[in-house]
Amino acid sequence: MKNKLHLAIRNLTGRPIRTTALFVLTAILSLTVCGGTLLVTSLRNGLHSLESRLGADIMVVPYEATTKASLENIILQGNTGYFYMDNSLMEKIANTEGIGQISAQFFLASTSSGCCSVSVQIIGFDPETDFTITPWIQRSYSKELQTLDIVVGNDLNAFVGDTLTFYGTKCHVAAKLEKTGTYYDTSVFTSKETIQMLIQSSIEQKLNYFDVDPEQVVSCVMINVADGYSVEEVLNDINIHVKKVKAVRTKEMIADISSSLSSVSDMIGVLIAAVWILSIMILFLVFSMNINERKREFAVLRVIGASRKKISALVMQEALYTGLIGGVLGTGIALLGVAAFHQLIEEQLELPFLLPDMRFILVIAVSALAISILSGILAASVSAGRISSMDTALILRGDN
Amino acid sequence: MKKVQITDILILLLSAALCLGVKLVFHACDSKEDSSWMACHWAQQAVFASGISLTIFSVLRFFVQKQTKMGLSFATAVLSIITAFVPGVFISLCMMNTMRCHAIMRPAVILLCILLAIVSVTDILLHKNGNEAKT
Repeated sequence: MKNKLHLAIRNLTGRPIRTTALFVLTAILSLTVCGGTLLVTSLRNGLHSLESRLGADIMVVPYEATTKASLENIILQGNTGYFYMDNSLMEKIANTEGIGQISAQFFLASTSSGCCSVSVQIIGFDPETDFTITPWIQRSYSKELQTLDIVVGNDLNAFVGDTLTFYGTKCHVAAKLEKTGTYYDTSVFTSKETIQMLIQSSIEQKLNYFDVDPEQVVSCVMINVADGYSVEEVLNDINIHVKKVKAVRTKEMIADISSSLSSVSDMIGVLIAAVWILSIMILFLVFSMNINERKREFAVLRVIGASRKKISALVMQEALYTGLIGGVLGTGIALLGVAAFHQLIEEQLELPFLLPDMRFILVIAVSALAISILSGILAASVSAGRISSMDTALILRGDN
Repeated sequence: MKKVQITDILILLLSAALCLGVKLVFHACDSKEDSSWMACHWAQQAVFASGISLTIFSVLRFFVQKQTKMGLSFATAVLSIITAFVPGVFISLCMMNTMRCHAIMRPAVILLCILLAIVSVTDILLHKNGNEAKT
Protein backbone atom coordinates (compact mmCIF):
# COMPACT_ATOMS: atom_id res chain seq x y z
CA MET A 1 0.00 0.00 0.00
CA LYS A 2 2.82 2.34 0.99
CA ASN A 3 4.63 1.55 -2.27
CA LYS A 4 1.47 2.24 -4.25
CA LEU A 5 1.06 5.64 -2.52
CA HIS A 6 4.71 6.36 -3.14
CA LEU A 7 4.36 5.45 -6.83
CA ALA A 8 1.30 7.70 -7.25
CA ILE A 9 3.19 10.64 -5.69
CA ARG A 10 6.26 9.94 -7.81
CA ASN A 11 4.11 9.81 -10.95
CA LEU A 12 2.73 13.24 -10.08
CA THR A 13 6.07 14.82 -9.18
CA GLY A 14 7.69 13.23 -12.22
CA ARG A 15 5.52 15.32 -14.55
CA PRO A 16 5.53 18.73 -12.84
CA ILE A 17 3.92 20.74 -15.66
CA ARG A 18 0.98 18.35 -16.14
CA THR A 19 0.53 18.01 -12.37
CA THR A 20 0.64 21.80 -11.86
CA ALA A 21 -1.96 22.25 -14.62
CA LEU A 22 -4.23 19.70 -12.91
CA PHE A 23 -3.74 21.41 -9.52
CA VAL A 24 -4.61 24.78 -11.06
CA LEU A 25 -7.73 23.34 -12.69
CA THR A 26 -9.04 21.67 -9.54
CA ALA A 27 -8.06 24.78 -7.55
CA ILE A 28 -10.16 26.97 -9.88
CA LEU A 29 -13.08 24.54 -9.47
CA SER A 30 -12.99 24.58 -5.66
CA LEU A 31 -12.30 28.34 -5.59
CA THR A 32 -15.39 28.98 -7.71
CA VAL A 33 -17.59 26.60 -5.72
CA CYS A 34 -16.39 27.80 -2.29
CA GLY A 35 -16.11 31.52 -3.15
CA GLY A 36 -19.37 31.58 -5.12
CA THR A 37 -21.36 29.75 -2.45
CA LEU A 38 -19.91 32.00 0.27
CA LEU A 39 -20.87 35.11 -1.73
CA VAL A 40 -24.43 33.95 -2.39
CA THR A 41 -24.91 32.82 1.24
CA SER A 42 -23.54 36.12 2.57
CA LEU A 43 -25.83 38.13 0.29
CA ARG A 44 -28.86 36.06 1.38
CA ASN A 45 -27.86 36.51 5.03
CA GLY A 46 -27.55 40.24 4.43
CA LEU A 47 -31.03 40.44 2.93
CA HIS A 48 -32.60 38.41 5.79
CA SER A 49 -30.77 40.62 8.25
CA LEU A 50 -32.07 43.77 6.54
CA GLU A 51 -35.63 42.36 6.54
CA SER A 52 -35.50 41.64 10.24
CA ARG A 53 -33.80 44.95 11.08
CA LEU A 54 -36.49 46.96 9.33
CA GLY A 55 -38.81 45.12 11.70
CA ALA A 56 -42.03 47.01 10.91
CA ASP A 57 -44.86 46.56 8.43
CA ILE A 58 -45.07 50.21 7.43
CA MET A 59 -42.70 53.17 7.52
CA VAL A 60 -44.15 56.68 7.32
CA VAL A 61 -41.84 59.49 6.20
CA PRO A 62 -42.27 63.12 5.17
CA TYR A 63 -43.41 63.25 1.53
CA GLU A 64 -40.34 65.20 0.34
CA ALA A 65 -38.08 62.43 1.63
CA THR A 66 -39.49 60.04 -0.97
CA THR A 67 -39.27 62.53 -3.84
CA LYS A 68 -35.60 63.35 -3.17
CA ALA A 69 -34.76 59.61 -3.11
CA SER A 70 -33.00 60.28 0.19
CA LEU A 71 -35.18 57.71 1.94
CA GLU A 72 -33.72 54.66 0.21
CA ASN A 73 -30.24 56.12 0.36
CA ILE A 74 -30.49 56.40 4.12
CA ILE A 75 -32.49 53.28 4.89
CA LEU A 76 -30.99 50.86 2.39
CA GLN A 77 -27.65 52.25 1.19
CA GLY A 78 -26.45 53.55 4.55
CA ASN A 79 -25.82 57.11 3.33
CA THR A 80 -26.04 59.78 5.97
CA GLY A 81 -28.89 62.27 5.90
CA TYR A 82 -31.93 63.56 7.67
CA PHE A 83 -35.51 64.69 7.12
CA TYR A 84 -38.09 65.85 9.59
CA MET A 85 -41.86 66.22 9.90
CA ASP A 86 -44.01 67.81 12.50
CA ASN A 87 -44.81 65.85 15.64
CA SER A 88 -48.53 66.53 15.16
CA LEU A 89 -48.50 64.36 12.04
CA MET A 90 -47.49 61.40 14.17
CA GLU A 91 -50.53 61.97 16.38
CA LYS A 92 -52.76 61.94 13.29
CA ILE A 93 -51.12 58.73 12.08
CA ALA A 94 -51.57 57.15 15.52
CA ASN A 95 -55.31 57.78 15.30
CA THR A 96 -55.59 55.70 12.13
CA GLU A 97 -57.59 52.50 12.60
CA GLY A 98 -55.64 49.25 12.60
CA ILE A 99 -52.40 50.49 14.19
CA GLY A 100 -50.91 47.81 16.47
CA GLN A 101 -47.56 49.30 17.43
CA ILE A 102 -46.25 52.75 16.57
CA SER A 103 -42.95 54.43 17.34
CA ALA A 104 -41.04 57.44 16.03
CA GLN A 105 -37.42 57.58 14.91
CA PHE A 106 -35.11 60.56 14.52
CA PHE A 107 -32.27 60.91 12.01
CA LEU A 108 -29.22 63.13 12.21
CA ALA A 109 -26.01 63.06 10.20
CA SER A 110 -22.92 63.93 12.20
CA THR A 111 -20.21 66.17 10.83
CA SER A 112 -16.80 64.56 10.29
CA SER A 113 -15.82 62.78 13.47
CA GLY A 114 -12.55 63.68 15.14
CA CYS A 115 -10.39 61.12 13.33
CA CYS A 116 -12.07 60.78 9.97
CA SER A 117 -13.38 62.60 6.95
CA VAL A 118 -16.72 60.81 6.97
CA SER A 119 -19.93 61.55 8.78
CA VAL A 120 -21.93 59.03 10.77
CA GLN A 121 -25.69 58.45 10.68
CA ILE A 122 -27.21 58.93 14.11
CA ILE A 123 -30.61 57.29 14.69
CA GLY A 124 -32.69 58.20 17.70
CA PHE A 125 -35.59 56.14 19.02
CA ASP A 126 -38.10 56.32 21.81
CA PRO A 127 -37.22 53.46 24.23
CA GLU A 128 -40.77 53.45 25.66
CA THR A 129 -42.50 52.66 22.36
CA ASP A 130 -39.74 51.32 20.11
CA PHE A 131 -40.14 47.80 18.73
CA THR A 132 -37.62 47.77 15.86
CA ILE A 133 -34.26 48.81 17.32
CA THR A 134 -34.58 47.93 21.02
CA PRO A 135 -34.98 44.12 20.63
CA TRP A 136 -31.84 44.11 18.57
CA ILE A 137 -29.86 46.40 20.95
CA GLN A 138 -30.90 44.14 23.85
CA ARG A 139 -28.81 41.34 22.34
CA SER A 140 -25.71 43.36 23.22
CA TYR A 141 -26.94 45.68 25.98
CA SER A 142 -29.76 44.85 28.36
CA LYS A 143 -29.69 48.03 30.49
CA GLU A 144 -31.63 51.20 29.80
CA LEU A 145 -29.78 53.86 27.79
CA GLN A 146 -28.98 56.91 29.92
CA THR A 147 -28.79 60.46 28.64
CA LEU A 148 -25.79 60.88 26.28
CA ASP A 149 -25.34 57.10 26.07
CA ILE A 150 -24.93 55.78 22.54
CA VAL A 151 -24.83 52.33 20.95
CA VAL A 152 -22.46 52.00 17.98
CA GLY A 153 -22.76 49.77 14.92
CA ASN A 154 -20.29 46.95 14.44
CA ASP A 155 -18.31 48.64 11.65
CA LEU A 156 -17.52 51.72 13.71
CA ASN A 157 -14.08 51.71 15.21
CA ALA A 158 -15.35 52.67 18.67
CA PHE A 159 -15.67 50.43 21.72
CA VAL A 160 -17.60 50.26 24.99
CA GLY A 161 -16.34 52.97 27.34
CA ASP A 162 -15.05 55.25 24.54
CA THR A 163 -16.26 58.81 24.18
CA LEU A 164 -17.40 60.17 20.82
CA THR A 165 -18.06 63.84 20.24
CA PHE A 166 -20.92 64.93 18.00
CA TYR A 167 -21.49 68.67 17.47
CA GLY A 168 -19.38 69.41 20.54
CA THR A 169 -21.46 67.08 22.74
CA LYS A 170 -19.55 64.21 24.31
CA CYS A 171 -21.38 60.88 24.17
CA HIS A 172 -20.50 57.70 26.00
CA VAL A 173 -20.39 54.40 24.09
CA ALA A 174 -22.57 52.04 26.17
CA ALA A 175 -22.58 49.08 23.74
CA LYS A 176 -21.41 47.86 20.39
CA LEU A 177 -23.86 45.92 18.25
CA GLU A 178 -23.23 42.61 16.59
CA LYS A 179 -22.65 42.58 12.82
CA THR A 180 -25.80 42.88 10.70
CA GLY A 181 -24.40 43.33 7.18
CA THR A 182 -26.69 46.36 6.70
CA TYR A 183 -26.45 50.13 7.06
CA TYR A 184 -26.99 49.66 10.83
CA ASP A 185 -23.33 48.60 11.05
CA THR A 186 -22.16 52.14 10.35
CA SER A 187 -24.83 53.95 12.39
CA VAL A 188 -25.01 55.25 15.93
CA PHE A 189 -28.16 54.71 18.01
CA THR A 190 -29.34 56.74 20.93
CA SER A 191 -32.44 57.68 22.87
CA LYS A 192 -34.93 60.32 21.80
CA GLU A 193 -33.73 62.63 24.58
CA THR A 194 -30.07 62.45 23.51
CA ILE A 195 -30.73 62.94 19.79
CA GLN A 196 -32.89 65.96 20.56
CA MET A 197 -29.90 67.40 22.45
CA LEU A 198 -27.62 66.64 19.50
CA ILE A 199 -30.03 68.23 16.99
CA GLN A 200 -30.19 71.31 19.22
CA SER A 201 -26.34 71.42 19.43
CA SER A 202 -26.05 71.17 15.64
CA ILE A 203 -28.47 74.06 15.23
CA GLU A 204 -26.69 76.18 17.84
CA GLN A 205 -23.31 75.54 16.26
CA LYS A 206 -24.78 76.38 12.83
CA LEU A 207 -23.44 73.09 11.47
CA ASN A 208 -26.78 71.98 10.03
CA TYR A 209 -28.86 74.24 7.88
CA PHE A 210 -32.37 73.57 9.10
CA ASP A 211 -34.57 75.41 11.45
CA VAL A 212 -36.62 73.02 13.56
CA ASP A 213 -37.55 72.63 17.18
CA PRO A 214 -36.01 69.24 18.10
CA GLU A 215 -38.84 68.52 20.53
CA GLN A 216 -41.51 69.12 17.90
CA VAL A 217 -40.20 66.92 15.04
CA VAL A 218 -39.76 63.27 14.13
CA SER A 219 -38.00 61.77 11.08
CA CYS A 220 -40.12 58.71 10.46
CA VAL A 221 -42.79 56.61 12.10
CA MET A 222 -42.56 52.83 12.25
CA ILE A 223 -45.85 50.92 12.38
CA ASN A 224 -46.90 47.35 12.99
CA VAL A 225 -50.44 46.60 11.91
CA ALA A 226 -52.89 45.26 14.53
CA ASP A 227 -54.28 41.74 14.23
CA GLY A 228 -57.33 41.57 12.00
CA TYR A 229 -56.20 44.40 9.72
CA SER A 230 -54.26 44.14 6.47
CA VAL A 231 -51.09 46.15 5.85
CA GLU A 232 -52.51 47.41 2.54
CA GLU A 233 -55.64 48.70 4.28
CA VAL A 234 -53.74 50.69 6.94
CA LEU A 235 -51.18 51.95 4.41
CA ASN A 236 -53.89 53.31 2.08
CA ASP A 237 -55.75 54.83 5.00
CA ILE A 238 -52.64 56.79 6.07
CA ASN A 239 -51.77 57.90 2.53
CA ILE A 240 -55.33 59.14 1.94
CA HIS A 241 -56.07 60.80 5.28
CA VAL A 242 -52.76 62.18 6.49
CA LYS A 243 -51.30 64.95 4.32
CA LYS A 244 -47.58 65.69 3.70
CA VAL A 245 -46.52 62.15 4.53
CA LYS A 246 -45.93 58.98 2.57
CA ALA A 247 -46.53 55.54 4.05
CA VAL A 248 -44.28 52.88 2.52
CA ARG A 249 -44.52 49.13 2.88
CA THR A 250 -41.09 48.03 4.14
CA LYS A 251 -41.16 44.85 2.06
CA GLU A 252 -41.53 46.96 -1.09
CA MET A 253 -38.50 49.00 -0.10
CA ILE A 254 -36.28 45.97 -0.25
CA ALA A 255 -37.86 44.57 -3.43
CA ASP A 256 -35.09 46.14 -5.59
CA ILE A 257 -32.43 44.65 -3.35
CA SER A 258 -34.17 41.25 -3.56
CA SER A 259 -34.19 41.36 -7.36
CA SER A 260 -30.50 42.46 -7.52
CA LEU A 261 -29.64 39.67 -5.12
CA SER A 262 -31.54 37.18 -7.23
CA SER A 263 -29.65 38.31 -10.39
CA VAL A 264 -26.27 38.05 -8.63
CA SER A 265 -27.20 34.61 -7.20
CA ASP A 266 -28.29 33.36 -10.65
CA MET A 267 -25.11 34.67 -12.24
CA ILE A 268 -22.90 32.98 -9.63
CA GLY A 269 -24.95 29.76 -9.93
CA VAL A 270 -24.44 29.69 -13.73
CA LEU A 271 -20.73 30.43 -13.26
CA ILE A 272 -20.32 27.57 -10.74
CA ALA A 273 -22.16 25.15 -13.05
CA ALA A 274 -20.14 26.25 -16.12
CA VAL A 275 -16.80 25.95 -14.29
CA TRP A 276 -17.79 22.56 -12.90
CA ILE A 277 -18.84 21.14 -16.30
CA LEU A 278 -15.76 22.61 -17.98
CA SER A 279 -13.44 21.27 -15.27
CA ILE A 280 -14.94 17.76 -15.47
CA MET A 281 -14.54 17.81 -19.27
CA ILE A 282 -10.93 19.05 -19.14
CA LEU A 283 -10.03 16.63 -16.32
CA PHE A 284 -11.61 13.79 -18.31
CA LEU A 285 -9.61 14.75 -21.43
CA VAL A 286 -6.35 15.18 -19.50
CA PHE A 287 -6.72 11.80 -17.75
CA SER A 288 -7.64 10.07 -21.05
CA MET A 289 -4.62 11.57 -22.83
CA ASN A 290 -2.45 10.72 -19.88
CA ILE A 291 -3.56 7.09 -19.90
CA ASN A 292 -2.94 6.78 -23.67
CA GLU A 293 0.50 8.28 -23.17
CA ARG A 294 1.34 5.89 -20.32
CA LYS A 295 -0.09 2.67 -21.79
CA ARG A 296 3.36 1.06 -22.06
CA GLU A 297 4.21 2.08 -18.48
CA PHE A 298 1.07 0.36 -17.19
CA ALA A 299 1.72 -2.69 -19.40
CA VAL A 300 5.21 -3.01 -17.85
CA LEU A 301 3.68 -2.78 -14.40
CA ARG A 302 1.28 -5.60 -15.37
CA VAL A 303 4.19 -7.73 -16.60
CA ILE A 304 6.10 -7.32 -13.31
CA GLY A 305 3.06 -8.51 -11.39
CA ALA A 306 0.74 -5.58 -10.70
CA SER A 307 -2.91 -6.66 -10.88
CA ARG A 308 -5.47 -4.79 -13.03
CA LYS A 309 -7.13 -3.62 -9.82
CA LYS A 310 -3.87 -2.19 -8.53
CA ILE A 311 -3.25 -0.25 -11.74
CA SER A 312 -6.79 1.18 -11.64
CA ALA A 313 -6.24 2.11 -7.99
CA LEU A 314 -3.01 3.86 -8.95
CA VAL A 315 -4.81 6.05 -11.51
CA MET A 316 -7.57 6.80 -9.00
CA GLN A 317 -5.00 7.73 -6.36
CA GLU A 318 -3.32 10.20 -8.68
CA ALA A 319 -6.73 11.77 -9.30
CA LEU A 320 -7.41 11.83 -5.55
CA TYR A 321 -4.16 13.66 -4.78
CA THR A 322 -4.75 16.09 -7.62
CA GLY A 323 -8.27 16.86 -6.36
CA LEU A 324 -7.14 17.09 -2.74
CA ILE A 325 -4.17 19.41 -3.23
CA GLY A 326 -5.91 21.57 -5.85
CA GLY A 327 -9.05 21.63 -3.69
CA VAL A 328 -7.16 22.70 -0.56
CA LEU A 329 -5.39 25.46 -2.54
CA GLY A 330 -8.60 26.76 -4.16
CA THR A 331 -10.69 26.56 -0.99
CA GLY A 332 -7.92 28.27 1.00
CA ILE A 333 -7.64 31.12 -1.51
CA ALA A 334 -11.46 31.54 -1.58
CA LEU A 335 -11.73 31.60 2.23
CA LEU A 336 -8.82 34.02 2.63
CA GLY A 337 -10.07 36.26 -0.18
CA VAL A 338 -13.68 36.50 1.01
CA ALA A 339 -12.75 36.79 4.71
CA ALA A 340 -10.11 39.46 4.09
CA PHE A 341 -11.87 41.52 1.45
CA HIS A 342 -15.56 41.13 2.46
CA GLN A 343 -15.85 44.86 3.17
CA LEU A 344 -14.58 45.65 -0.31
CA ILE A 345 -16.95 43.09 -1.88
CA GLU A 346 -19.85 44.64 0.06
CA GLU A 347 -18.89 48.12 -1.16
CA GLN A 348 -18.61 46.98 -4.78
CA LEU A 349 -21.87 45.00 -4.84
CA GLU A 350 -23.78 47.71 -2.95
CA LEU A 351 -25.94 45.01 -1.38
CA PRO A 352 -26.35 43.92 2.26
CA PHE A 353 -23.61 41.37 2.95
CA LEU A 354 -23.29 39.25 6.09
CA LEU A 355 -20.80 36.38 6.27
CA PRO A 356 -22.28 33.15 7.69
CA ASP A 357 -21.02 31.79 11.02
CA MET A 358 -17.81 29.73 11.26
CA ARG A 359 -19.62 26.38 11.32
CA PHE A 360 -21.43 27.13 8.06
CA ILE A 361 -18.23 28.45 6.43
CA LEU A 362 -16.55 25.16 7.41
CA VAL A 363 -19.40 23.18 5.84
CA ILE A 364 -19.05 25.19 2.59
CA ALA A 365 -15.25 24.69 2.57
CA VAL A 366 -15.50 20.93 3.17
CA SER A 367 -18.21 20.61 0.48
CA ALA A 368 -16.07 22.53 -2.06
CA LEU A 369 -13.13 20.28 -1.24
CA ALA A 370 -15.30 17.17 -1.59
CA ILE A 371 -16.64 18.40 -4.98
CA SER A 372 -13.09 19.00 -6.18
CA ILE A 373 -11.91 15.52 -5.09
CA LEU A 374 -15.03 13.76 -6.45
CA SER A 375 -14.73 15.58 -9.79
CA GLY A 376 -11.14 14.39 -10.13
CA ILE A 377 -12.08 10.81 -9.22
CA LEU A 378 -15.13 10.87 -11.53
CA ALA A 379 -13.04 12.11 -14.47
CA ALA A 380 -10.33 9.50 -13.80
CA SER A 381 -12.72 6.59 -13.24
CA VAL A 382 -13.42 6.16 -17.00
CA SER A 383 -9.67 6.08 -17.74
CA ALA A 384 -9.09 3.70 -14.82
CA GLY A 385 -11.77 1.37 -16.27
CA ARG A 386 -10.12 1.50 -19.69
CA ILE A 387 -6.66 0.77 -18.34
CA SER A 388 -7.87 -2.25 -16.41
CA SER A 389 -9.38 -3.79 -19.57
CA MET A 390 -6.43 -3.26 -21.91
CA ASP A 391 -4.49 -6.15 -23.43
CA THR A 392 -0.92 -6.00 -22.10
CA ALA A 393 0.56 -8.20 -24.82
CA LEU A 394 -0.88 -6.05 -27.64
CA ILE A 395 0.45 -2.87 -26.09
CA LEU A 396 3.93 -4.22 -25.55
CA ARG A 397 4.01 -5.54 -29.15
CA GLY A 398 3.05 -2.02 -30.22
CA ASP A 399 -0.19 -3.14 -31.91
CA ASN A 400 -2.37 -0.88 -29.75
CA MET B 1 25.86 35.72 -7.70
CA LYS B 2 24.87 32.61 -5.70
CA LYS B 3 22.47 29.91 -6.88
CA VAL B 4 19.00 31.44 -7.17
CA GLN B 5 16.07 29.48 -5.75
CA ILE B 6 12.33 29.90 -6.31
CA THR B 7 11.90 31.08 -2.69
CA ASP B 8 14.43 33.92 -3.29
CA ILE B 9 12.39 35.17 -6.23
CA LEU B 10 9.07 34.80 -4.35
CA ILE B 11 10.41 36.70 -1.33
CA LEU B 12 11.68 39.51 -3.58
CA LEU B 13 8.37 39.74 -5.45
CA LEU B 14 6.25 39.72 -2.28
CA SER B 15 8.47 42.32 -0.54
CA ALA B 16 8.39 44.58 -3.59
CA ALA B 17 4.59 44.10 -3.85
CA LEU B 18 4.20 45.15 -0.21
CA CYS B 19 6.52 48.13 -0.58
CA LEU B 20 5.05 49.50 -3.83
CA GLY B 21 1.49 48.23 -3.34
CA VAL B 22 0.94 50.09 -0.08
CA LYS B 23 1.86 53.34 -1.85
CA LEU B 24 0.24 52.78 -5.25
CA VAL B 25 -2.45 50.07 -5.16
CA PHE B 26 -3.87 49.36 -1.70
CA HIS B 27 -2.98 52.71 -0.16
CA ALA B 28 -4.76 54.21 2.87
CA CYS B 29 -7.62 56.75 2.78
CA ASP B 30 -7.09 60.07 1.03
CA SER B 31 -6.40 63.24 2.98
CA LYS B 32 -9.20 65.20 4.62
CA GLU B 33 -10.72 68.27 2.95
CA ASP B 34 -8.37 70.52 4.95
CA SER B 35 -5.41 68.49 3.54
CA SER B 36 -4.56 66.98 6.93
CA TRP B 37 -3.93 63.25 7.11
CA MET B 38 -5.93 60.67 9.04
CA ALA B 39 -4.31 58.09 11.34
CA CYS B 40 -4.31 55.43 8.63
CA HIS B 41 -1.86 57.45 6.54
CA TRP B 42 0.82 56.95 9.20
CA ALA B 43 0.08 53.21 9.26
CA GLN B 44 0.65 53.22 5.48
CA GLN B 45 3.97 55.06 5.92
CA ALA B 46 5.10 52.54 8.58
CA VAL B 47 4.21 49.61 6.29
CA PHE B 48 6.08 51.32 3.45
CA ALA B 49 9.19 51.67 5.67
CA SER B 50 8.96 47.97 6.63
CA GLY B 51 8.46 47.13 2.96
CA ILE B 52 11.69 48.93 2.04
CA SER B 53 13.60 46.96 4.72
CA LEU B 54 12.07 43.68 3.51
CA THR B 55 12.95 44.49 -0.11
CA ILE B 56 16.57 45.26 0.86
CA PHE B 57 16.75 41.94 2.76
CA SER B 58 15.34 40.10 -0.26
CA VAL B 59 17.88 41.69 -2.66
CA LEU B 60 20.75 40.86 -0.27
CA ARG B 61 19.74 37.18 -0.44
CA PHE B 62 21.13 36.95 -3.98
CA PHE B 63 24.68 37.83 -2.83
CA VAL B 64 25.18 36.02 0.49
CA GLN B 65 26.17 32.57 1.75
CA LYS B 66 23.56 29.94 2.69
CA GLN B 67 23.87 30.49 6.47
CA THR B 68 23.44 34.26 6.11
CA LYS B 69 20.48 33.60 3.81
CA MET B 70 18.82 31.57 6.57
CA GLY B 71 19.36 34.51 8.93
CA LEU B 72 17.80 36.87 6.39
CA SER B 73 14.83 34.50 5.99
CA PHE B 74 14.34 34.51 9.75
CA ALA B 75 14.51 38.32 9.87
CA THR B 76 12.05 38.53 6.95
CA ALA B 77 9.59 36.17 8.66
CA VAL B 78 9.71 38.14 11.95
CA LEU B 79 9.52 41.56 10.30
CA SER B 80 6.63 40.53 8.05
CA ILE B 81 4.64 39.23 11.03
CA ILE B 82 5.29 42.50 12.90
CA THR B 83 4.29 44.48 9.78
CA ALA B 84 0.98 42.60 9.59
CA PHE B 85 0.09 44.10 12.99
CA VAL B 86 0.97 47.70 12.04
CA PRO B 87 -2.39 48.71 10.50
CA GLY B 88 -5.09 48.50 13.14
CA VAL B 89 -3.02 47.23 16.09
CA PHE B 90 0.17 49.31 16.42
CA ILE B 91 -1.31 52.27 14.54
CA SER B 92 -5.08 52.72 14.63
CA LEU B 93 -7.06 53.14 11.44
CA CYS B 94 -10.14 55.22 10.58
CA MET B 95 -13.51 55.31 12.27
CA MET B 96 -15.48 53.02 9.95
CA ASN B 97 -14.61 49.51 8.82
CA THR B 98 -16.10 50.37 5.44
CA MET B 99 -13.36 52.93 4.78
CA ARG B 100 -10.54 52.19 2.35
CA CYS B 101 -7.88 51.64 5.01
CA HIS B 102 -10.01 48.89 6.64
CA ALA B 103 -11.54 47.43 3.48
CA ILE B 104 -8.48 47.34 1.22
CA MET B 105 -5.19 48.36 2.85
CA ARG B 106 -5.33 46.26 6.00
CA PRO B 107 -6.41 42.91 4.43
CA ALA B 108 -3.93 43.33 1.56
CA VAL B 109 -1.04 44.07 3.97
CA ILE B 110 -2.01 41.13 6.22
CA LEU B 111 -2.28 38.72 3.26
CA LEU B 112 1.07 39.75 1.76
CA CYS B 113 2.78 39.59 5.16
CA ILE B 114 1.34 36.11 5.87
CA LEU B 115 2.52 34.87 2.43
CA LEU B 116 5.94 36.43 3.02
CA ALA B 117 6.24 34.76 6.44
CA ILE B 118 5.14 31.37 4.99
CA VAL B 119 7.66 31.55 2.12
CA SER B 120 10.45 32.67 4.50
CA VAL B 121 9.74 29.81 6.93
CA THR B 122 9.59 27.35 3.99
CA ASP B 123 12.97 28.69 2.85
CA ILE B 124 14.46 28.14 6.35
CA LEU B 125 13.08 24.58 6.44
CA LEU B 126 14.38 23.79 2.93
CA HIS B 127 17.87 25.03 3.85
CA LYS B 128 17.78 23.17 7.18
CA ASN B 129 16.75 19.90 5.49
CA GLY B 130 19.45 20.43 2.84
CA ASN B 131 22.10 20.90 5.55
CA GLU B 132 20.89 17.82 7.46
CA ALA B 133 20.92 15.70 4.30
CA LYS B 134 24.57 16.71 3.69
CA THR B 135 25.66 15.78 7.25
